[in-house]
Amino acid sequence: MSREAYQVPSMGAQTAFDTQGGYGSAMNVDSPSVVYLCGECSARVPLKRGDQIRCKDCGHRVLYKERTKRMVQFQAR
Amino acid sequence: MAPLVPSQEELQRRRIIGINPETVTNIPSTDFPGHWPGESHEWALDTFKNGFQVEFHRNDRFESSFSLIGLDAAVANAFRRILMAEIPTIAIEDCFIHNNTSVIQDEVLASRLGLIPLKGSVEGINWMHWVKKESDDEPGSGACDFNTIVLRLDVECYKNEYADKDEQDPRKLYTNAHVYAKDLMFHPVGRQEDFFVGDGAIAPVNPDILIAKLRPGQKIEMELHCVKGIGADHAKFSPVATASYRLLPDIKIERPIIGEDARKFAKCFPKGVIGLEPVTAAEAARSGSGYEGHAGEQKAVVKDAFKDTVSRECLRYDEFQGKVKLGRVRDHFIFNVESTGQFESDVLFLEAVKVLKFKCARWKRGLTDLMA
Repeated sequence: MSREAYQVPSMGAQTAFDTQGGYGSAMNVDSPSVVYLCGECSARVPLKRGDQIRCKDCGHRVLYKERTKRMVQFQAR
Repeated sequence: MAPLVPSQEELQRRRIIGINPETVTNIPSTDFPGHWPGESHEWALDTFKNGFQVEFHRNDRFESSFSLIGLDAAVANAFRRILMAEIPTIAIEDCFIHNNTSVIQDEVLASRLGLIPLKGSVEGINWMHWVKKESDDEPGSGACDFNTIVLRLDVECYKNEYADKDEQDPRKLYTNAHVYAKDLMFHPVGRQEDFFVGDGAIAPVNPDILIAKLRPGQKIEMELHCVKGIGADHAKFSPVATASYRLLPDIKIERPIIGEDARKFAKCFPKGVIGLEPVTAAEAARSGSGYEGHAGEQKAVVKDAFKDTVSRECLRYDEFQGKVKLGRVRDHFIFNVESTGQFESDVLFLEAVKVLKFKCARWKRGLTDLMA
């Protein structure tokens, strides 16, 4: 439809979002790590499957997801 | 039978709109055929040319004020509306946000960016084409070098290591704590490199417009596509901050206002509108003038009606009842055009004339087609 229809970038198998690649077979040890942001100190916290949900710097237990890496289009209106 | 010719006084009287405490009278113009029995008010180019006048009051780069005298309100209003809504300019239209971790939301940020006035080589802006929006039936024209200008906004905030320990100002404590319009970077593509060079490069008119505030770790990364558009589509494309006109005020002192009353009368108007002059011996000697026996006292005279705001304050007092007549001159339009900075303000008016001419030509073509 759109002239610049957005193409979902192929992120490869190393991201947790790739349904065919990593996540289903993530039981193995080198499962992909996803980066979260600490709610207390804003540190970047990479977490793997099964990790304790806890900031490695301050021990805070509230972590946030990072903003999407996808491009978002808006009209300046 | 030759048409009747009204006297100059009569014509002058017809030009004035009456302003009373609660009402406005004599509003519509009557200089058209059939209104005044026996008079010809046929429109003729020569008559218009002889009666038409342009006077400039100020002509700064981005603000001008001038009078158009001797034309109809319809034409003056057409110019005003064209100035605001139909002169094409460039503005940010599409925002492609790759990353925005600032506190300001994507859509709000996009809307703010759209309203930033951009300047660039006028030649280049005139060279640019319209971008055709895609619809369900037709595909759009796509982004090309002749219809889209690319700006980028890439800023990341981080701590300033050299900042003083007790520093409180976030602008010194962090780098890029404030994102300004000057952070918008122009990336010319194709032939744009020939048109928008040096001073003609696309840049915000006011480099210090605050777009967003950041804190360390926050980041804005976006690509902005600017297109040509008109104010009728969105106000961000309007080349003027204001384009307005008012009619020249007209104040007539019909009976003398003398002494303390004169000073009070002058206070009813903005500074410089009403002046005080001593009553001359000759005036005092003339019987029936109203000045008898007041030689040497101060009387109120109209010095500069142009400066009046027509507040009608003087009509509130009993002592001025019947002594003063307020009005406006129907065919004297005082324009005030303030440019947002893309074009110079006097050029803008000429552009408006050009647009009106173009529309008339199109209308004329339409009529010929109708007859054929």
